[in-house]
Amino acid sequence: MDIQITGLRRTFGKVTALDGLDLAVPGGMYGLLGTNGAGKTTLMRVLAGVLPPTAGTVRVGGHDLTTRTGRLAVQRRLGYLPQDLGLYPDLSAQEFLDYVGLLKGLDDTAARRRQIGELLDMVGLTDAVGRKLRGFSGGMRRRVGIAQALLGDPALVVVDEPTAGLDPEERIRFRTLLASIAAGRTVLLSTHIVEDVAQTCRDTAVMARGRVVFNGPVADIVQRAEGITWELVGQGPPPAGGVVVSAVSRSDGTHYRLVSPTRPDPRAVPVQPSLEEGYVALMHAGTSA
Amino acid sequence: MTTARQTWAVTRYEFRMQIRKRSLWITTAVLAVVLTLTQGDRGPRHLPLGTPPREVMAGWALLMSILLPIGFGMVLADRLTRDRRLGLASLLESLPTGRGALVAGKYLGGLASTAVPAALVLLTAAAAETAHRHDPALFAWAVVAFALITLPGLAFVTAFALVCPLLTTAPLFRVLFVGYWFWGNMLNPDLFPSLTGTLLTPLGDYPATWLMGERALYAGADGWLEFLRPQPGGTTTVLAIALLLLLSLPPLALAPPLLRRRNLSA
Ligand SMILES: Nc1ncnc2c1ncn2[C@@H]1O[C@H](COP(=O)(O)OP(=O)(O)O)[C@@H](O)[C@H]1O
Ligand SMILES: [Mg+2]
Repeated sequence: MDIQITGLRRTFGKVTALDGLDLAVPGGMYGLLGTNGAGKTTLMRVLAGVLPPTAGTVRVGGHDLTTRTGRLAVQRRLGYLPQDLGLYPDLSAQEFLDYVGLLKGLDDTAARRRQIGELLDMVGLTDAVGRKLRGFSGGMRRRVGIAQALLGDPALVVVDEPTAGLDPEERIRFRTLLASIAAGRTVLLSTHIVEDVAQTCRDTAVMARGRVVFNGPVADIVQRAEGITWELVGQGPPPAGGVVVSAVSRSDGTHYRLVSPTRPDPRAVPVQPSLEEGYVALMHAGTSA
Repeated sequence: MTTARQTWAVTRYEFRMQIRKRSLWITTAVLAVVLTLTQGDRGPRHLPLGTPPREVMAGWALLMSILLPIGFGMVLADRLTRDRRLGLASLLESLPTGRGALVAGKYLGGLASTAVPAALVLLTAAAAETAHRHDPALFAWAVVAFALITLPGLAFVTAFALVCPLLTTAPLFRVLFVGYWFWGNMLNPDLFPSLTGTLLTPLGDYPATWLMGERALYAGADGWLEFLRPQPGGTTTVLAIALLLLLSLPPLALAPPLLRRRNLSA
């Protein structure tokens, strides 16, 4: 299901979380990058039909999310993994999924059970099906979270910071799992970790202050830092007038890499930027604009 | 009917989660034991042999109604608010199940989960009395007393215990609820204006009075709001039960929008 958003605004009292956002997502696995507070969660809650927009239009698969029928039509084909999803501590993984399946309208008991079995297998929780959720680790809980999102074979899967707080190995496993389910559906993955998007999505949107500041191939983000990424070896404090991306202390001094529209120091040499530096350049351009 | 099926799903899971809570069983057991041991001379245990089984079991149902609903109200107070606390509100709002079905299911499941321990307590009392009085009709009257005295009060308490915490907080509601329970059920209306003895007592004063053939507590006693204090009897018992069930509806009708408001601010 494709997503078409124009002029989307959402305010909370005086706080503007989404500020006239435009975004078109065609399908497949799509990244949504942005720092904390950029508005990713708010956007995803709007897409999940949880929050009504203050203004603007949101269409998912042609359905208008601001109408009741449109919202229900989308919710029937939606898989949503909210940020910080909690679970009922006194249910087992099997029971929790069964409950969510019922609430999603999967009324055929045999089909529901079969699907739950397949999903638990896919997320590697087969051995823990009968255990109470209260004893699950963070990674296991996240896997239950993605399993519930995938119940009912949704056409749109919205996952909000699913890798936050996972150890590196688990994070890699989790994002690979997400990429593997993207065939034939739209998967919108929000994260503040550039690497998650770089390893799984061809295209991404970057959000800052409630707007989309970049939308396109992930590789193009690197271009934003070309010609403005510098390396500099120095003693003493980092040079002023730029955003320091890395600082590695070696025997000959501290190796700084920084993003700066102008040469920050006569000794600085231009270098080929990384994706992260492209992202920093993007964010920085937004701030000074 | 999708809504009916979803309501049934919520009912089943709500019941399952609730009935597994150790606090529910501990509360029930402790209150039942305390009430049994502290019943006065007028308590059902001390009724002479040969007392009709109807009066004996009505006495037990009334006795248990003095404190058990307080425990149930406490246990139920977080059932609608806890989804948000647990971090499930956003997910539930995103599912194609309406808040109406969710509230209805939580109500029915919550009611069932308190009715089961309450019924077990009465059946235990009936078993103990049978050993003592050798009258199998005690079990039948336990069922009648449960249906007329206990259940309508639980239906009322469940509705308010689910919904009121959405307006305040679960802990504050618990405090207010204890105060209300004594004021609205047991405070002598002669001493202070109270709902005690009116048709609106979830304790089951009217049905108990009717079954026992004499005033159970204060049913119909003079006091505040005289029009709510008719002479106890069969008709007024039906009326009292109908009023309790009717009064459970407004909070339940208010719950979906209240829940929405609360979840939106998450
Ligand atoms: N329910 C809410 N009430 C008040 N402010 C909110 C609410 N939800 C989000 N915000 C504010 O909106 C902005 C965007 O938040 P959010 O969408 O959570 O960003 P992100 O997910 O990118 O970190 C933040 O300033 C946040 O404080
Ligand atoms: Mg967020």
